[in-house]
Amino acid sequence: MTERILDHPVLGVLEPDQTVTFTFNGMKYEGRCGEPIAAALLAAGIRTLRHHEESGTPRGIYCNIGHCFECRVEVDGHQGVRACLTPVREGMVINGGGALPSPVRDWRKDNA
Amino acid sequence: MTDRDMIVCRCEEVTYGELVDTAGQFACNSRELKLRTRAGMGYCGGRTCRSLVDAIALAATERDVTQITLKYQPPVRPVHFGDLGAIPND
Repeated sequence: MTERILDHPVLGVLEPDQTVTFTFNGMKYEGRCGEPIAAALLAAGIRTLRHHEESGTPRGIYCNIGHCFECRVEVDGHQGVRACLTPVREGMVINGGGALPSPVRDWRKDNA
Repeated sequence: MTDRDMIVCRCEEVTYGELVDTAGQFACNSRELKLRTRAGMGYCGGRTCRSLVDAIALAATERDVTQITLKYQPPVRPVHFGDLGAIPND
């Protein structure tokens, strides 16, 4: 089952396209060649792309036009890659960031 | 989910209540409010919450024209330090 809209009332039927496989957080997924990583993952039912560096809250697509960086993931070792703008390629290794060990803001509670 | 819990700065998870309290307690202008709460210092460079932090600060204190308001800080897109000249340690 896919979340993808295969027969859109306005856009019509979605023509099959070359599918590529990529890994996200160690799991294999399939997407249409050239579609944004965020869209490929959304079609596979994945909405959480990363976790906040400080609090670990789940984060995903927000602006979807490359403006807010909420969807930043690590692609093939490069950090801060925007999933909503980056076309998915065969064999991409994508990892979502997690909470970092050393807190930045803990000091704020003492002298806010 | 009261108004106070509404997240204003998503990158740094600063809530509306926090901003209003800090602005009221210290009578901050916008730059001071940003420094005290980190709202606007996040990964997106303050694009989303910049005007909101300005507005909250202005509600708390009279506009002081000698103080500059929050602006976009270069680089306009986040740049990885490694790209600025990492020395490979191989």
